[in-house]
Amino acid sequence: MREQEHLSDAVLRRSSRRGFLERAGAALIALAGARTVARMALPDDADAYTNFCGHTFTTGNCPHPTGLPRVDQHGYPLRARDGHPVDDLGRPIDARGYPVDPSGQVLREPDGEPLAPAPRSKVCHATGLRYGHRLKIDGSWYRCCGGQVRRLMDCCGYTDVRVNGDAALAGYCYPGRHVFCVQYYDTRIPC
Amino acid sequence: MLSALAIPAVLTALVAGIAGAWSPCGFSMLETIGTGLGDARRGVTAAACATFAAGAVLGGALTFGGLAFVGSLIPRHGTGVRDALGVALVLGAAVADWRGLQIAPQIRRQVPERWRWTMPLSLASGLFGLLLGLGFTTFVLAFAVWALAGLSFIAGSTGLGLLIGLAFGLGRALPVILIAPRLRGRRGMRALEGMAREPRLWLGLRRLDAIGLAFCALLLTSAGARGAQVAAGSDPSARGGALAWQTIGGPAMLRDAAGRLSALPGTYPALGRSSVAWFSGGQVIVAHLGSMAVKASIAAGPISALAISDSWIAYRAPAPGGGEQLVGVPLGSPARPRPVASSPLAGSLGRPSLIGSTVVFARDTPRRAAIVAVNLATGARHVLRSARGGVALLNPALTAQRLMYERITRCSQELRVGPARAPRRDRTILRAASAVFRDSGVERGYVRAYNEASLCRHRKGGPGAPVWLGATALGAGTAYVTEVPVAAAANARILALAATRRR
Repeated sequence: MREQEHLSDAVLRRSSRRGFLERAGAALIALAGARTVARMALPDDADAYTNFCGHTFTTGNCPHPTGLPRVDQHGYPLRARDGHPVDDLGRPIDARGYPVDPSGQVLREPDGEPLAPAPRSKVCHATGLRYGHRLKIDGSWYRCCGGQVRRLMDCCGYTDVRVNGDAALAGYCYPGRHVFCVQYYDTRIPC
Repeated sequence: MLSALAIPAVLTALVAGIAGAWSPCGFSMLETIGTGLGDARRGVTAAACATFAAGAVLGGALTFGGLAFVGSLIPRHGTGVRDALGVALVLGAAVADWRGLQIAPQIRRQVPERWRWTMPLSLASGLFGLLLGLGFTTFVLAFAVWALAGLSFIAGSTGLGLLIGLAFGLGRALPVILIAPRLRGRRGMRALEGMAREPRLWLGLRRLDAIGLAFCALLLTSAGARGAQVAAGSDPSARGGALAWQTIGGPAMLRDAAGRLSALPGTYPALGRSSVAWFSGGQVIVAHLGSMAVKASIAAGPISALAISDSWIAYRAPAPGGGEQLVGVPLGSPARPRPVASSPLAGSLGRPSLIGSTVVFARDTPRRAAIVAVNLATGARHVLRSARGGVALLNPALTAQRLMYERITRCSQELRVGPARAPRRDRTILRAASAVFRDSGVERGYVRAYNEASLCRHRKGGPGAPVWLGATALGAGTAYVTEVPVAAAANARILALAATRRR
């Protein structure tokens, strides 16, 4: 699997993913029966995903407050296991930004004062600040994960290096830009 | 500010350095520098004494300061174990020196004799001094040297390590400075002969070292006990050696510099240099710290935090339009309160800390985190620390010299101390894992690939630390921080730790 991924990465570095998928897809469909080869270049089933469902190839997750890079539709961090909004420290929060306990009650200091809210940043933007790039979501791909449609979002910038530290892929980024890291948004659309 | 431990440690180091004169190298130095060029070259002897002393002091600073620096870089989480190890090491060395046991492990090496013949005397003496000051390049003459090395490392205070090293180097140089220039005379020779003939002098110095080490152990033990914590307490306020805090579900408490404990008739206790304040019945009561005579009663309405200096009080209270505000009140004209800051979000403005007319507080919102200082007299405002994302800055405490605050990220909770206006010189004196649950960064059933950036260096996935860091205070060399259990905030406790060392 690792060699297949590296091969795929190498091919993708030289082309945009959309263009690559079109060309490679057509060629591979023409080679009907070459299913194994098709899997190498079009890793579209669960076996080919890395880190989380729907993510192909090897670009690392965008640094996220709780680990897996799940975000809401605006790019703000959510806790992966239940989709609860979290702040930049990884604390589950309510609509006003106050950290809350598992029952949704505002957490308080021993003297009863609410715990201070903390910053909540868009994961892609915050990653850019941390690594010194101006990053934004350029494009996405959608896959079926866990019975619902998942949007795989490429966090892109004018960089040749990705969060892993090695060469970045073109992915779904605009021309001249590359994928720095990846994140995802779980829609409510069943599949 | 260095702890009380510095005094016995430095004296012990000085004596341990002097005891080194009874080593083969020590005797050699006396003779080499004192008699090498004869009476006609007293100036050369004086120069050699000077370079020897400089080398010895430098060597001592390098060894003990270096060990302390390395110790300061190592995060320490089991503070009790560290203190216990330190006490055991120091006590063991004290007993061994008191009984005059043979030094072990011994370093059976001497300074290179050829330097005496191949270099100018002053240069050779400087290098000899450096080697002897380093402490562990030649014979060791007291267990105290080993103990002081361990103490420097364990304490993790570069300042303390440097002082120990300077004292040790000075101790190594003193016999040379005092005896070598007189060696051609009767008194000098008599002193040298006395040293060579009378090992009891050396053993006596080792007993002095033992006494000094015993004091060090005592202070380490009491420091450990001090660090044990105030159980069921929060909201500490410290000034000098005094500490006030709020007992959870009980009265506010005051422990004065002499250790006397008393209950205060109110809540939200705050300490100034000569005053103590608390909140009771809608009023802030200001009393003299020694006599507890009430100096002022200031109407304040409900408050949720309080700070005091000799000229001002500052408190946090509900804002008229909702949310919260910080208010400063000059003790000289309490009828003229001055709004300092306000926020529509309760909890967004942190506890104030006051020194003179400067109030410092944290301001954390979903957009930004900052620690702000405001001069209540002039209104001048400075942002001392700030972060746009990924970081919360909480619970600052200010003294005349330093700012302490908490820096919380997705990965860790850090208690930092540094000069108020020099963020780059901040040191982390306590680090714990973040208190939030973190997943592994990989969904179950999927292969991990190049995902290090989303992980945390100091913690793994799963539940985080069982406590979060709460309100702080900064006293004379001691940092106080409230540890609040995630599962039960009512079981909060106040932890005391040396403000200079890293854990």
